[in-house]
Order: sequence, then C-alpha cells, then structure tokens
Amino acid sequence: MNENRRQILEMLSAGKITADEAERLIAAIESGPSTSVGEHSGAIPGTNGTAQVKTRAKYLRVLVEADEQSTGMKGPTSVNVRVPMQLLRAGVRLASLIPAQAHNQFDEALSRHGVPLTLSQIKPENLEELIDHLEDLTVDVDANDRGKTKVRVFCE
Amino acid sequence: MTPNFAVVAVETPTFHMPRLWVPLFLLWIPVVLLSPIIFLVLAAVAIATRTTIWKLIVLCWGIITALPGTDVRVTADGAHVLVRVL
Repeated sequence: MNENRRQILEMLSAGKITADEAERLIAAIESGPSTSVGEHSGAIPGTNGTAQVKTRAKYLRVLVEADEQSTGMKGPTSVNVRVPMQLLRAGVRLASLIPAQAHNQFDEALSRHGVPLTLSQIKPENLEELIDHLEDLTVDVDANDRGKTKVRVFCE
Repeated sequence: MTPNFAVVAVETPTFHMPRLWVPLFLLWIPVVLLSPIIFLVLAAVAIATRTTIWKLIVLCWGIITALPGTDVRVTADGAHVLVRVL
C-alpha cells in the first residue's frame, strides 16, 4: 500500500480527519505523480463503504502460464505482458484509419472467428467508454485438456 | 513522454546476457534525418486512408508517447527474455 494512503487511513481510523477529508486527500495523491498502481478501487474504512475511492487502471496485464505437457517445450512456459492503457487507447484510435469500404470485410472476418464486432459502430466518443469498461475486466482461464494452462487478463 | 530507454535481457541455459539499456532517444537522430521520407510515407498513408496527415501524426505520436511502461517477460524452453520500455 502507498505510504501516503496508509497515513491517511491511519488518520481516518484515529478520528483525526473525516471520511470526506480522507477521500479528498486520497484523490489528491492519486492525481499527483506518486500515484501507485495496483489499487484501483476500494472503500475507505469506517465509512461503511459509502466513500468509494476509484482510481483509473494504468496497465492491462496478461499472464499466461503453461506446463511442459501443454507446450511440448522443456520446462514451464510463462508470458507476462504489461501494456499501458494509454497504448490501448492509441491503438483503438487506429481503427479510425481503416477505410469505410474495408469495414464490411473486417466485420465478416471477425464474425467468422467468433467476434461479432461491427467496426463502423465504434466511434471516437465511444472509445473512452470502451477502455473504461475494460478496467473492470478480469479473465481467468484454467485449461486442463492436455497439460495445464492458466491465462489471466486484468487491469491494474 | 516519449520512450527514452528500453531494457532488454536475454538468458538461456547456455548464454547469459547482461541487461542492455538501449538508448531510444538516439533514434530521434535518424528520425530527424529521415523526416522528409517519413513525411512522404505519412502523406501516402493519409491519402490511402482518406484522412488528414495531421490526424495521422497525432495518432502516431499518441502511440509513441504511450509506449513507456510496456513490459514483456517471456520464459520458454529454459530461456528468459525481458523487454521493458522506459
């Protein structure tokens, strides 16, 4: 836990500051340069969960772990990728470069692969909403068909 | 902020490379030197995609400035590869 945040919570639990003041302080340190990652939501203790602290996730993390049986390689295989959310935003904006006449072909190709997405419906104003909802995404996959494979996708 | 360094490390059972700090800021030198060609390529892409070159530059700049913080670690077949953009 961030040291500043811990101090604020200790002050709150000691009754030195009110829940509103704690919320403002936490919001201030989150908007500052020393923002910590890994804590993107939570209630302030002592407020019965009414004061919800929500910070924006900074990174999308993809973890893949597979054993020897599933990959056929020597030793376990692991992939750990951390992608800044800002990069996702920039990447999604690239979709605006795809010419309108290519949208249909793109949609058909995606549908064939089980992704029913209509590219023309993705507007720049919807992108922020799309990325924001991605912050609540957590995918956990455990596959035990041949060997053991574990996939985790989450925001932090 | 544009990426300034990339940290690259490769380790295999038979080979161990010390962490390599790649000075990405030096790439600005070839970018500046090749800027007329880059501009022409961007203009061609802008025409092909029926967008403006300014919008294209903004998109490219957005991707470049979003790169810091990217971290990729792969372990496979006894080898470890780390790439981190700072």
